[in-house]
Amino acid sequence: MRRIGLRRIVLLATVVAAVLAVVILLATGLGRDPSAPASPLVGRAAPGFTLAQLDGPQFTLSTLRGQVVVINFWASWCAECHTEQSALNGTWQQFRDSGVVVVGVNFQDTSTDARDYVRTAGVSYPVVEDSDSRAALAYGVRGIPETFIVDRSGRIVDRVIGPVDAAKLAGQINSLLSAGSR
Amino acid sequence: MTGRLRAASPGLLVILALVSCVVTLIIVGTRGRTAPVGEAERVQQIAAGLHCPVCKDLSVADSPAPLAQQMRQEIAEKVHAGESADQIRAGFVAAYGESVLMTPPKHGLAGAAYHLPLIVMVLGLLVSFLLLRRWLHKPQSEPLAGDSVSLSASQRRAVDVAIARLREEEPG
Repeated sequence: MRRIGLRRIVLLATVVAAVLAVVILLATGLGRDPSAPASPLVGRAAPGFTLAQLDGPQFTLSTLRGQVVVINFWASWCAECHTEQSALNGTWQQFRDSGVVVVGVNFQDTSTDARDYVRTAGVSYPVVEDSDSRAALAYGVRGIPETFIVDRSGRIVDRVIGPVDAAKLAGQINSLLSAGSR
Repeated sequence: MTGRLRAASPGLLVILALVSCVVTLIIVGTRGRTAPVGEAERVQQIAAGLHCPVCKDLSVADSPAPLAQQMRQEIAEKVHAGESADQIRAGFVAAYGESVLMTPPKHGLAGAAYHLPLIVMVLGLLVSFLLLRRWLHKPQSEPLAGDSVSLSASQRRAVDVAIARLREEEPG
């Protein structure tokens, strides 16, 4: 049998390692959507905010500790926000008595347009105005709609980019509610 | 003289390469370290180092998007409040991740962009040095008896006689 030298083995191992590194890099990089980078906030405490509601009174997120919160960033001019409206309305109706709060955060919009939209779209959950986009910046919002699901302990468990899916959202809320009741 | 120069030139090349590398590293390392004077310049500098999150390939400093304007406003407030550039950048990284930075961070996988060229350069220099040393200290090959030693006719005869005598003396 032909004897393979140590030097040749080292060379072969180096080439294999280099090829493997490139393959792993490409496999992980190509499997990810570059326009939707993972939020570093998932798994961390939801940034707090106190903002004025469209109908007047102040709204403070930290007062909802102990409840599951769905924070939805939206605007009246955003077509995809209109698409998900029925899902959000349905979620609110379904879970409002189970310790779940849906909060709409109005993003880069006028108060008049936002109020008109809320009225015509039948939105009955609290809607706050993020007039200087501070909340959006704190949540790392890149575009709307963007939705954050917060568990009872105030930790962000998921971020949804684009319109939410009613069934998926209900599933996530149910699992958070059942986890909290155990 | 020419032979000496030829022998010395690879070593000289290595030294020249090392010197130019060190000079380049010093130039690159010291560039842009001058601190901007005013708050506005600091805001501009920090904003130029952040990606506008709602734009394609535009920095916060260059983008006309309302969100970028708000980011500039927030940077200005934080600079005014005395926060360092690193603290301000860290705040945006906490919300958006490291992809918000215009230049990759110097740690983690992205840090390879900074360290890999240096590692490759050092390895290259090391390999060059080892190869050069081997070439310069390569021993002259011994002349082969049959190829280069020429014997006169009388010497050849003497050798033949000696071989014949040795064969006669051999037992059996």
